[in-house]
Amino acid sequence: MTSSKLFEEPGLKQITVWARGVYENKEARDVVVAVTEAAALEGKFVQAWENYVDLPDRIFVPVRAYGKISDQPIESKYVYENETPDIVALTEETLVKGVPILGGIRPGAVLVVNTKRSPQEISKFLIGDTNKLKAVVTVDASGIKQGVITLSGAEGATDASGIGGGFSGPLAGAVVKATGIVSLESLLQIVKDKAAARAGYDQARVADAKSLGLAG
Amino acid sequence: MSFKEVPFAGTVPSPKRENEGMVTGNWRTKRPVLDKDKCTDCLICWISCPDACIDQSTTGLAFNLKYCKGCGICAEVCPSNAITNVPELDYAD
Ligand code: SF4
Ligand code: SF4
Repeated sequence: MTSSKLFEEPGLKQITVWARGVYENKEARDVVVAVTEAAALEGKFVQAWENYVDLPDRIFVPVRAYGKISDQPIESKYVYENETPDIVALTEETLVKGVPILGGIRPGAVLVVNTKRSPQEISKFLIGDTNKLKAVVTVDASGIKQGVITLSGAEGATDASGIGGGFSGPLAGAVVKATGIVSLESLLQIVKDKAAARAGYDQARVADAKSLGLAG
Repeated sequence: MSFKEVPFAGTVPSPKRENEGMVTGNWRTKRPVLDKDKCTDCLICWISCPDACIDQSTTGLAFNLKYCKGCGICAEVCPSNAITNVPELDYAD
């Protein structure tokens, strides 16, 4: 059985968050931790971790954080990378350029971007399996709440700064609005800044991939 | 493959102008843009660029965007304020 076959587990959802190395590590990690912890509250089986292969200690280098959510025990829990994400979130808009953010996405995947720009503007830069996208979502998460830059919680250490205190809250709010992967109430129980997460949920602009001319 | 064939991390055979294994252009969130009227050709930016990706040409300085990682050091050190950091998505290419 190849590792990609493992992801045929029914009910497994994979969320991949791309970020810029060092200064957005924490925010990326917080998005996957907040969403998976919220799913755990709803009785789901979950996992969240960061990809160490991505050279996380280089400023600006594209890095990934992953989450898995399933209503069944996760059989592929030792597969290190999300090979077929259902949800892709970007902590920063320029990751759409020159970074294979849509690599391996499953049909019906949703892209959520932290940007002031519209889904129309962002979709112009997308390359790869754009026809598999269901929706492109943008939210000015950094405008709602500034990012937290800290090494607290890095590499599995205890995170003293709390989950979802920076722009990860509103970004996770936008993910929840676009995908319904968990309820907003569950997310708000986890994140530190609940008002910011709610604002992200409210302000997220969800554009259907067909209306953007992406769906094949 | 024997261990002798494994490349030693982070090394580039010298002399070499470019390394395909170290393309850092997609690290960039802001793009340096030169105002040629303000530039005095002092080359402080050229010598300060950590990626050595500022090329000198007959028409003036040019940024090699395949490698420029947008660190902003060139704009910071320029005594004439000839370099501006512009959001990368303002450019289609
Ligand atoms: S932004 Fe940094 S990498 Fe790019 S040209 Fe300027 S100094 Fe070099
Ligand atoms: S530092 Fe400024 S003035 Fe000097 S060469 Fe570079 S761009 Fe021109």
